[in-house]
Amino acid sequence: MKKTNYFAWFIFILGIFYFFLPLFATLEFSLRMKKGVYSLEAFRVAFQDPKFYQNFGYSLMWAVLTIVFSLLLVVPTAYWVHWKLQKIRPVVEFITLMPFVTPAVVLVFGLIRLYGKPPLNLTPTPIPLIAGYIVLSFPYMYRSVDSGLRAIDIRTLTEAALSMGAGWGTIISQVIFPNIRVAILSGVFLTFAIVMGEFTFASLLSWPAFGPYMEEIGSMRAYTPQALSLVSFALTWTSMMIMQRLGRGAKGEEQVAVAH
Amino acid sequence: MAFLEINNVSKSFGKTVAVKDFNLKVEKGELVSFLGPSGCGKTTTLRMVAGFEVPSSGEIIIDGKDVTYEPPNRRPVGMVFQSYALFPNMNVAANIGFGLKIAKRPQEEINQRVTEMLELIHMPGYGNRYPHQLSGGQQQRVALARALAMHPQVLLLDEPLSALDAKIRVSLRGEIRAIQRELGITTVYVTHDQEEALSISDRVVVMNNAQIEQIGPPFEIYNFPQTEFVAQFVGTLNAVNAEVVDPKAKILKFEGQQVQTAFSLDKLHPGDKVMIAIRPERLSFASQERKANILKGKVQNITFLGAIVRIQVGIGSISFYMDTFNNPYLALPKIGEEVEITCSAEAVLALKERRESQEV
Repeated sequence: MKKTNYFAWFIFILGIFYFFLPLFATLEFSLRMKKGVYSLEAFRVAFQDPKFYQNFGYSLMWAVLTIVFSLLLVVPTAYWVHWKLQKIRPVVEFITLMPFVTPAVVLVFGLIRLYGKPPLNLTPTPIPLIAGYIVLSFPYMYRSVDSGLRAIDIRTLTEAALSMGAGWGTIISQVIFPNIRVAILSGVFLTFAIVMGEFTFASLLSWPAFGPYMEEIGSMRAYTPQALSLVSFALTWTSMMIMQRLGRGAKGEEQVAVAH
Repeated sequence: MAFLEINNVSKSFGKTVAVKDFNLKVEKGELVSFLGPSGCGKTTTLRMVAGFEVPSSGEIIIDGKDVTYEPPNRRPVGMVFQSYALFPNMNVAANIGFGLKIAKRPQEEINQRVTEMLELIHMPGYGNRYPHQLSGGQQQRVALARALAMHPQVLLLDEPLSALDAKIRVSLRGEIRAIQRELGITTVYVTHDQEEALSISDRVVVMNNAQIEQIGPPFEIYNFPQTEFVAQFVGTLNAVNAEVVDPKAKILKFEGQQVQTAFSLDKLHPGDKVMIAIRPERLSFASQERKANILKGKVQNITFLGAIVRIQVGIGSISFYMDTFNNPYLALPKIGEEVEITCSAEAVLALKERRESQEV
């Protein structure tokens, strides 16, 4: 007969409490906007504010732009590192881990100092913001793509495609990309979640975004910011769930494992 | 003029010489195998023909056109890889039609060609399956069809059967040869399996240490190896250092026993050392009728190998292997029994290279 491991269950329940208790407290607080009764008033107020949609829309746009340019940069780089430049892999990995050791505020000040004056005054454009977000997403995007590339035989697939007359664009778009789709989607959703809640870059570069909006609301109101925090959490969780779902349903990498 | 020419090709990776002064001319429709141990340079040579490696020196010519520096996607070659390399995201039909799609051929032509190729590999009706739904042998047949779909001028196969089990290997190599003959396509086949190379090829290129040891038809490679390496690598061989006794009478001596060879010893003198080699299947027990080239020894071991029985006979300090066909009524000696074995003078090969140590 299987023995119940009470200690394991105790640790698990403790973890659940540690994680969900603050969320529950936030939810409970957000529902107390009307005196004496629980209501969704805080959510109604949050969703009725036109600035909410404006800032959310901006963050959505920054996220999409970050994802597009990040993919254009990371996928060919990771592919090339796997295909021809194995020796520089540790260097690339180190670079992609930089955002973990360099605080966002340092990065953004570096960007402002470098690109906030002639000859390359880019701060009036969203380029430094997107570039900063791309750097922030490096650890997630590069790691995801890298693990996807490790799962398939890049070299042989590339050579097979080359021997059939394919060029580099075709190889990346039709052979490599579809076979690391799940890995790419992981990177995409992680990047999406990070950009949607990011505060430092958007605030210091003075661009409207969901993060600074939440901070602004938080300094003026009591209940609405809690509601917005929960919306932000829900967004991140939805991204994670989609990622999990896609990962479970995808056949691409399973096929590779069988074929090679 | 040969269809595929590899002229004075060498390739180095840093200080390591992978291929040294490789010369080969392959006729149209011919199947040539590169045979050799791991690291001998056979795959590197194939990859240079495919365009995946650029030679350090020399030239590669296909149908009169110098392709030495042409990128792989502009060469008229099709390649089959050991690991199949089918695109996992595409079904069988899409895999086979991939090259034609890249070449922007009309969809109708692609469909027709895919159907033809599926029939050629005896897999009609498999077009909608994905690689992970196929066995290893089926995947490799699809890989072959994919390489052939583009009508390449040269087909390159890099150890295509190595990942398959023994039975499928044998049947698939027959299929590959039949398809190659049917299409009359010039083919280069890399393998480290001597049986595969001998059974499938018009000619075999035996390689060792980045160089060609011998080029010839399988029959010649097996029966008349020109170097010790070829003799040892292709088939089982009894090789021993011998001393020339009488060059004119072609008499040699080892372990105090004399043998006669049919090969010329004119350039040698009495007392010179030479290596002789005898295939196990050329030896038999001496009888009343066969009294020439008799070697006396003691039976050391008897191994049953199915179709043949291998008998190990100790002659002085060395061991000789003798193969005899198995039959249920075969009278075998006992281990330790004194026996006399013999072979014809033609079976005693005098090889170019000599060596110091004696071994079988």
